[in-house]
Amino acid sequence: MKRREFLKLSAASVGALMVASETQALKLPNPLARAPKAWYDGEVSTVLTYCENCFWKCGVRASVADGRVWKVDGYAKNPKSRGRLCPRGQGAVAQTYDPDRLKRPLIRMEGSERGEGKYREATWDEALSVIASGMLAIKERYGSESMAFFAHGSGDTWFGDYLPAAWATPNVGKPSVSLCTGPRETAAQWTFGRGIGGHEPIDWENTDYIVLVGHHIGEDTHNTQLQDFSLALKRGAKLVVVDPRFSVAASKADRWLPIKPGTDTALLLAWLNVLVTEGLYDKAYVERYTVGIEELTAHVQPFTPEWAAPITDLDPDAIRAVARELAAHAPRAVVPPGRHTVWYGNDTQRMRALYLVNTLLGNYGVEGGFYFAQPPYIEKYPHAAFPLEPSSGGCSGASGGETIDTGYRASVDHGKFFAKTTAVQELIPAMISGEPYRIAGLIAYGVNLFHSIPNVARTQEALKKLDLYVAIDVLPMDHVMWADVILPEATYLERYDDLVEIAHKTPFIELRQPAVEPLWDTKPGWWIARELGLRLGLEKYFDWPDIETYLDKRLSTIGSSLAKAKQAGTLVQRGRPYLSDWEQRNLDPFGTPSGKIELYSQSFADAGFDPMPVYEAPEEGPAGSYRLLYGRSPVHTFAKTQNNWVLMEMHGDNAVWIHTAEAASLGLKSGDYVWLENQDGVRDGPIAVFATERLRRDCVYMVHGFGHRAADMKIANARGASDTALMSRYRLDPISGGAGLRVNFVKLVPGAPRPRLPRLTKLAERSV
Amino acid sequence: MARYAMAIDLSSCVGCAACAVACKLENEVPAGVSRLWIRLEESGTFPDLAMQYRPEQCMQCADPPCVGVCPTGASHVTDDGIVLVDAETCIACGACIAACPYGARYFDERGFVGKCTFCEHRLAEGRVPACVETCPTLCRSFGDLDDPNSDVSRAIRAAHRVEVLKPEQGTHPKLVYLDAPARFGLASEGVPK
Amino acid sequence: MSDPVTTFYGAVNDGAFWHWPTLVHFCLVALAGGVAMLLAYRALGRDRLGWRLPALSVGLIALDMVVLWAESLARWRLTHVYLFLNVRPASAIWWGAWGLAGSAVLGLLLAFGWGPRRLWGALLAVTSTMALLYPGLALAANSARPLWTPLLLAFMPVTGLLLAWGLALLFRQNDLRPAVAVLGLGGGLLGGLYLVGLAVGGLAAREGLSHLWHEGGTLFVAALAAMLLGPALLRRYPAVAGVLVVAGAVLARTLLVEIGAFMPPLS
Repeated sequence: MKRREFLKLSAASVGALMVASETQALKLPNPLARAPKAWYDGEVSTVLTYCENCFWKCGVRASVADGRVWKVDGYAKNPKSRGRLCPRGQGAVAQTYDPDRLKRPLIRMEGSERGEGKYREATWDEALSVIASGMLAIKERYGSESMAFFAHGSGDTWFGDYLPAAWATPNVGKPSVSLCTGPRETAAQWTFGRGIGGHEPIDWENTDYIVLVGHHIGEDTHNTQLQDFSLALKRGAKLVVVDPRFSVAASKADRWLPIKPGTDTALLLAWLNVLVTEGLYDKAYVERYTVGIEELTAHVQPFTPEWAAPITDLDPDAIRAVARELAAHAPRAVVPPGRHTVWYGNDTQRMRALYLVNTLLGNYGVEGGFYFAQPPYIEKYPHAAFPLEPSSGGCSGASGGETIDTGYRASVDHGKFFAKTTAVQELIPAMISGEPYRIAGLIAYGVNLFHSIPNVARTQEALKKLDLYVAIDVLPMDHVMWADVILPEATYLERYDDLVEIAHKTPFIELRQPAVEPLWDTKPGWWIARELGLRLGLEKYFDWPDIETYLDKRLSTIGSSLAKAKQAGTLVQRGRPYLSDWEQRNLDPFGTPSGKIELYSQSFADAGFDPMPVYEAPEEGPAGSYRLLYGRSPVHTFAKTQNNWVLMEMHGDNAVWIHTAEAASLGLKSGDYVWLENQDGVRDGPIAVFATERLRRDCVYMVHGFGHRAADMKIANARGASDTALMSRYRLDPISGGAGLRVNFVKLVPGAPRPRLPRLTKLAERSV
Repeated sequence: MARYAMAIDLSSCVGCAACAVACKLENEVPAGVSRLWIRLEESGTFPDLAMQYRPEQCMQCADPPCVGVCPTGASHVTDDGIVLVDAETCIACGACIAACPYGARYFDERGFVGKCTFCEHRLAEGRVPACVETCPTLCRSFGDLDDPNSDVSRAIRAAHRVEVLKPEQGTHPKLVYLDAPARFGLASEGVPK
Repeated sequence: MSDPVTTFYGAVNDGAFWHWPTLVHFCLVALAGGVAMLLAYRALGRDRLGWRLPALSVGLIALDMVVLWAESLARWRLTHVYLFLNVRPASAIWWGAWGLAGSAVLGLLLAFGWGPRRLWGALLAVTSTMALLYPGLALAANSARPLWTPLLLAFMPVTGLLLAWGLALLFRQNDLRPAVAVLGLGGGLLGGLYLVGLAVGGLAAREGLSHLWHEGGTLFVAALAAMLLGPALLRRYPAVAGVLVVAGAVLARTLLVEIGAFMPPLS
């Protein structure tokens, strides 16, 4: 063929191909060009379980392909998730595949100090034997009460209830009580004769007027609560937020009251005053269901809005207006109790005042107010009777209980405060002083000792003095790397747990079952508790050979089975949400001594406490310092999630919020790094400054949970600062035993170096 | 054929980022890049303040500037109005990344450009995108604009303000923002009807 | 009343997406296109055309292609080349690919001396123009990025040709001096016009200018100055002039691509 023809033909072919290719993109089969397969392209199976990335326990549906969990979602039939998940829930999968996870049991090297972090790997058998012999030696020498158990999370049924009861120690501490819900539970027990419980029984779907007092809904992303709150606002419910900070909730409010920190009780008393003196309270309700209205009426006379205004730094007309609006919308007007209520050390009384406001609105047990959350019916496993039941309480059930005299010594914090539950931070002094008797051993399950309990220096001193300190956890947290023996628990996607029982409008039971096999050599909490129990001579309490038998037995008491529960995920029962439901069965819902709601608490009076709340001014801090306030990030859970690369990509650092004018007066602007130094000279940081208008000038605010000093958590380490480290002081609430944490004051010390940290993207790529 | 769109009610959104986390996991979005992020804006002086929380992502424009610029046709629009990248024919030149006014696209190290797909794989199963499904404030709605009874159509009708980002670019985004807080102005031109 | 204080949850895709390999490409492609244009000019002329210049032209195009391939995330997709048989007139890169491919084919034909030299020269003038225009088009098409203005449709080809022909001066292609002078002045003036256009443009343009100024304003002005200075030194110090205009063109193009991806904050 001649060159000319060749060229013409080539041009023609190219032209033809171009025309032909208009109809579809030209592709050639090329194995190198294949797009990567997505996880959902293959065979996907689903498993129903519940989440562990906070303590709300939403039902999740885990999607599994190739032996790996890729995604979790809510499911519609679960009354907690209702088919949706919060950011922590969505991101929890990343923790299961975190390369920094504890993988094998570790035993502290001979001759090393607690805190040096020197460990060798061990088999489960060796590790458990070391623990058992340590515990038995303590029992021999000091008595079984000398072992303390601190527990939080779903496994706290094993390490906060089952095992300590079988072992026989009353020294069980749950931070969810004295570092969180204690005051609201105790106040509720003595006002209504019922606790609040882990799923706050607020009737969001029927309420028309909501007042939040220091309640950070929207940054606190408890799933169902956030859904209900949003739906209520969409429906047109009015919102008032009382908070020194313009929180997310405040940004949705019709009215924001930027209250001076520590003065909320004065505000609540002023509302009681208006409701009473203007005759706006629900007289019929109060008459029928309460005692003490005469005493209360006399008591609140001085607490006018004009009295409260200078104390709270609020406008008296605004104070009065809110009380009137509450009354106008009653009983579909509610002041929810919030959850973390350990603020100033007088918190039980503040919560009493809050409950009294609700009571006067006639909303307790009524649509639009508080409903009665009934626990689901199911029986415990028929184990041999425990020698004693430690009254550690817990936010998922009734708080407190009578101490049964079983011949064992009471908990070491007995008598320090009124409530019958233990207070975890009050169990620590006995580790140092040996008074009233020595606590020689500690098992810490899922409790972050250095990021939850105030006075970290004291905790560390106590740990050094123990004969035996065991940590059971998922990640190498700061406090974990102090233990004598470290046991790696499998994450929630890899294990069974005991059933969760949620007291609710429609009480329900949730099952946790594994979606995948445990990675590395990690084990579920139930297995650890059982294996330990067997080595401690407690076989009679562990007569069930495996968790499946245990669960199936329990479920059989309600005519169900493990197989059925695995299919359903959640078993829902009928509740008794309103007063009418109780009255038609001739039942009295109020477990108080009087059988009614106690506006005046004779029990408190008898114990030497104010029978009705009074206002107590908070202590002021040193000049030039700011009260340290703290709160939540929507994508984080306390100090649990800062090694989760997905969540850290969303929010990778905390900053100290300070009013722009205050920052300017210190020569600071957003992005500068400072040290925080408290009234006792304790420092933490460096931490970035966030200059904002969203805060009063007398306080600073930071998100809790950062500032890890844990070199083995490559992502979390050294990011941000720890508010707990700065809480060298706390104020003990003499009624609930709660530790008031908002009593520390900090200065901002400029000139801190900007931290040089490895890039998050690089660290994230290590994901298993 | 549907005309898929999404609406986000900014009066309800609290900026919790559940949607962003869900997207990340659902779509195996690599570390360091993002299909969806949350903007939090504070305005005013104490105590007269306002906040806006706004998720930002691919706007799935009706007139997408990212499609014509693609030299191979990998960046295309489906019959359902979803703008997608065919990873097999993408040469990772980045012209589409440059063209997007919203910063919605990114390089995926595995050799193509990544972006929001409206979770097309879920739509095939009759489910909604992961971000819409998980939102705990129920502020997201999705569906077919051509169906007056779809969630998105109803949400748009019920809203007082319907706005889009950068309407001056003429992209006609199919992701619209509803009822933004009063102090934060967007613009209402360019909203697809 | 303060400006809105903005924070984010999650990563915003606002980093640079084109990194240094792309910056290299923007210079290589200018070289390839400019040399192809030079070849077209020579082919249309009367002098004997050897094989060296065509070979160089094809070689530079090949080099540019290899660099693009080597830095591509998708480099294992060898079937890419077939994808360009789809007709995509809205894509600047598509035009550029055909411009370069056409220039390479024509360069080969000229190297081997097959076929009508003047016809190939004329066609090559068209294809090399495509190759020189497409970078400006690739940038200016992005209306959301205020620093990539329509003026780049002129600035990029001018500086592209300047880069190649200025370098050619260093290889004693002295008949190009007048053209280089015009191109140098053109580049400098267009650059100035570009800055003025930003300054009197809308809010986005002014924000862009501020960003450009902050990130590399001095260097950009220096680049324009070099392009203007070159022509002045052409007669006395042609080599220096050549270096100046090449440096100016390289610097200006690099800065525009690196800094120019700026988008004003979404609000």
